[in-house]
Amino acid sequence: MSGNDYILQANNVKKTFGQTPALQGADLTIRRGEMVAIMGPSGSGKSTLLHCLAGIFAPDSGEVWFDGKRLDTLSETARTELRRTAFGFVFQFGQLVPELTAADNIALPLLLDKVQRKEAYKRAASWLERLGLEGLGNRRSGEISGGQAQRVALARALVIQPKVLFADEPTGALDSLTGEKVMDLMVDIAREEGTTVVLVTHDARIASYAERAVTVRDGKVATNTKQVAGAIK
Amino acid sequence: MFRFGLRLTLRSGKEAFARLLLTMIAVSIGTAILFAALADFHAFQAANNRPAWEKTGQAADDQMFTSRASLPTTQGKLLWNYNNDIFKGKTIERLGVAAISTSAPVLPGISRLPAAGEYYASPALTTLLHRTPYNMLGARFPGKQVGVIGKEALTSPDELVIFIGYNLAELRALPTTIGVNTIASAHQTNVWTGYFRYAYIFGTLALLFPILLLINTATRLAAARREERFAALRLVGATPHQLNVIASVDAFVSALFGVLLGAGIFQFIQSSLAKASITGGHYFASDVTPTLLGYGVTILLVPIASAIAALISLRRVRISPLGVSRKTTPPAPKAWRTIPLLAGIGLFALGIAMTTHQTIAAPVYVGLILILIGFSIGGPWMTMTSARVLSKLVPSASSLLAARRLANDPKTAFRAVSGLVLAAFLGTTLAALLPSINSTTATPSATALQNVLLVSLTPGVLCGNEVNCTGANRPTTTTDGEFGLTPQTGATLLNGLRNFPDITTIPLYANPKAIDAAQHMEGGAPTPGQQMPGDSIIRCSDLQKVSVLGTCPVGAKAVVAAPDFMSDNPSYSTQAIASPASEAASDNVTGLYLSTLLIKVSNPNTLEEVRTFLATHTSTSLSGTAPRTFGEAVAVRLSISVTIQRIFNGAVALTLFIAGCSLAVTVGGSMVERKRPFSLLRLSGVPTSVLYRVVLYEAVMPLLGAAVAAASIGYGIALITVEKIGAAGTRVPTLGHNYFIVMGFGLIASLIVILMTLPLLGRITKPDEVRFE
Repeated sequence: MSGNDYILQANNVKKTFGQTPALQGADLTIRRGEMVAIMGPSGSGKSTLLHCLAGIFAPDSGEVWFDGKRLDTLSETARTELRRTAFGFVFQFGQLVPELTAADNIALPLLLDKVQRKEAYKRAASWLERLGLEGLGNRRSGEISGGQAQRVALARALVIQPKVLFADEPTGALDSLTGEKVMDLMVDIAREEGTTVVLVTHDARIASYAERAVTVRDGKVATNTKQVAGAIK
Repeated sequence: MFRFGLRLTLRSGKEAFARLLLTMIAVSIGTAILFAALADFHAFQAANNRPAWEKTGQAADDQMFTSRASLPTTQGKLLWNYNNDIFKGKTIERLGVAAISTSAPVLPGISRLPAAGEYYASPALTTLLHRTPYNMLGARFPGKQVGVIGKEALTSPDELVIFIGYNLAELRALPTTIGVNTIASAHQTNVWTGYFRYAYIFGTLALLFPILLLINTATRLAAARREERFAALRLVGATPHQLNVIASVDAFVSALFGVLLGAGIFQFIQSSLAKASITGGHYFASDVTPTLLGYGVTILLVPIASAIAALISLRRVRISPLGVSRKTTPPAPKAWRTIPLLAGIGLFALGIAMTTHQTIAAPVYVGLILILIGFSIGGPWMTMTSARVLSKLVPSASSLLAARRLANDPKTAFRAVSGLVLAAFLGTTLAALLPSINSTTATPSATALQNVLLVSLTPGVLCGNEVNCTGANRPTTTTDGEFGLTPQTGATLLNGLRNFPDITTIPLYANPKAIDAAQHMEGGAPTPGQQMPGDSIIRCSDLQKVSVLGTCPVGAKAVVAAPDFMSDNPSYSTQAIASPASEAASDNVTGLYLSTLLIKVSNPNTLEEVRTFLATHTSTSLSGTAPRTFGEAVAVRLSISVTIQRIFNGAVALTLFIAGCSLAVTVGGSMVERKRPFSLLRLSGVPTSVLYRVVLYEAVMPLLGAAVAAASIGYGIALITVEKIGAAGTRVPTLGHNYFIVMGFGLIASLIVILMTLPLLGRITKPDEVRFE
């Protein structure tokens, strides 16, 4: 496999918060279009690894590569630009701006990218439809259910057609049935769009949606990385 | 529970500490301004409550003797001669006294009455006398200084006052001398005191409202985060009552610290405040302090009010062990909210249409009150509408975020600026109205005469080479007539004035026909229809020296004129005193009484030298007012409106600043509440500049929008008022540069305060420090 097949790569990444080491030499490579689940117990460093891969944190040492370019040496401004244009994010909860409607929230990244307002809302409407949220465009986050809010967040993450979708416990605040619906949608759309997905979860059932799962333990990616045979989809 | 609440307030981590600090700072700013307003009002009251010795002889119970012939030599206790002098536009209160008996009352501020040849001067006048050449000022006051007048006799440290001792004969000879037994000790009851007091009270109230809002906003700072903590307490069994106690303690303690810090800030700015001149003069620094009652009430009431505000804000949410929910989602304000404002404007316009020069129609007052109320009711709707307009006009992510936030809760956004709206409205109305009103008196003619000294030569004595006017040699009787200086003394005075360089002297002589008519008139007043001859004669060669005075008939060398300068109202000077239709007269003025002098002096120092010459070579006028220029007369009259304007300008600038603080607190609170979505937005690649713009839109838009809307309506009100009731020729209201400086200062100060919150936004949303639940 050539180097160009890897969209993300972490080499011997170390990160410490104060006296607490979070990552102690983590290595991980992710192929283009792949869906990878990062698992591990609480405090193992899985979210920190995701944040280093997404350019949110600059590692203390080691290298992070994205699409053939060093990510960890980029300036904060360049990393911000990259996160806005090439990455999408879904978190556990609280990511929607409460004052904005669902349509506003989805259109927001496009408006930030200077897309014309009419075009931005047209694309937001199509994503609402795609995620089964027709008729909810004018509702605020406090007026929709948790599952619906996560679908809006997913639409917001995907509306810019990111190369990588980072999802940190995306179903952590949902019941299992709703969580599964959200995961079904995420997997379907990622496959349709060819988006690489990096999913952090401690739930084996959610991890089973991924093609590959890696486990982080004590700040390192455990060597017994396994291929998820027969992912749910 | 109190101790537990106290511990939670003081030791609940960095975020709680930051909230405590922010609340404290906001409350301290509001309280310091409140203390400053109370202190200035106290100083104003103290100045006006001082015994007004100047009013001696005016009260009904003062025993006095005003008839020159009956002025006592052995009865009565004190001869009293009070008049005003002027030096470079500043009034000098000049009192001549001569004790008749040993039991003569002593003036406040001095230990004994000055003997003949002695004087006491106020501290400011003492300094001025030391700094000014003798022939410009010192020569006006006979004798030597024996002491400084204490503050008991003064309303301001700037006041120029002199108590001069005379011998009895000398003082009895001066016009306006009266005999008195007692010195007035009642409070100063200047005709403008009441207006200033109302202006102060209104200004203080205009400040109080936004200050209370600021304190209230600060107390409820980051309510959502605090409520989450309360929900956690409910989960472990805390009762609603216990939460109320904790919330009250939290608010009370924060506010108490803030009040104490505010008292400290006030102590720090007190000396600067004492140097500020709000009503035209400075106050004594020792008076610029709130009363003990003011201190006590503020220190007690602000924390209590904060605790009550916290309890009220808790009533609006339901805190259960499972979390926090709002009891009601505030509905979007409806357009009907603008009805009171529109009705107020309509009623005001109707009232103005019904108003005459004699009476102001009642709808004007009702309309004004409705406008003030209408601003408060209609403000949230206007905020929401302008937010929506903004999001349409500026189609960016930041305007969308800000507009939605404002449209979602316009009441909170407007609450922060509601005090400003009232101040900006009233401040602008006054700023536009007062210059227009003033312009009716300060006419172009008065402007042309502004450096022309008006000298009314009433009966008195002429001193100089022929007569020694100093000390005991000063003549005690007048030889001059009722219509001015005798021809001989008049000529001597004019000769003396010729020694001054660069001055133009225009003498006006008493018309002999007018003297005859007055002497033959029964009862001293003209009968209806009786034509009175003009009372002055002016030579055409003199008239030409100041063109606004008019022109002579062709070929005439002198004319009969009827100037009404004595009223000292420049509006009279809009009419020339002579015209081609004026009656011609002989230019031989020999043998005529010199009744008035107009002296044009361009150099301010020469002006004072001339005034000193006149003071030492003529007696004071019957009115007790020293010669002054038309410009000085206008300035004295305008000083009242200037002072009122200054009070309102101060209120506008301060309310702008307070509104900025309130907005900064509101924005700071909203940032803490939106920490998570904002952090996640930033983490998703939203540049910090976008978030900064969101905050600026949220803060600046209500501030600017409210200020512009209120100022526009205020200006419109002034415009229709001047159009309807302004005198002919009144100019369209314009807002002076002072107004714009004040508004600009207030807005810039507000923006600085708001900008100071931006680093907080940058820090709390920093991706490196984001933690995820």
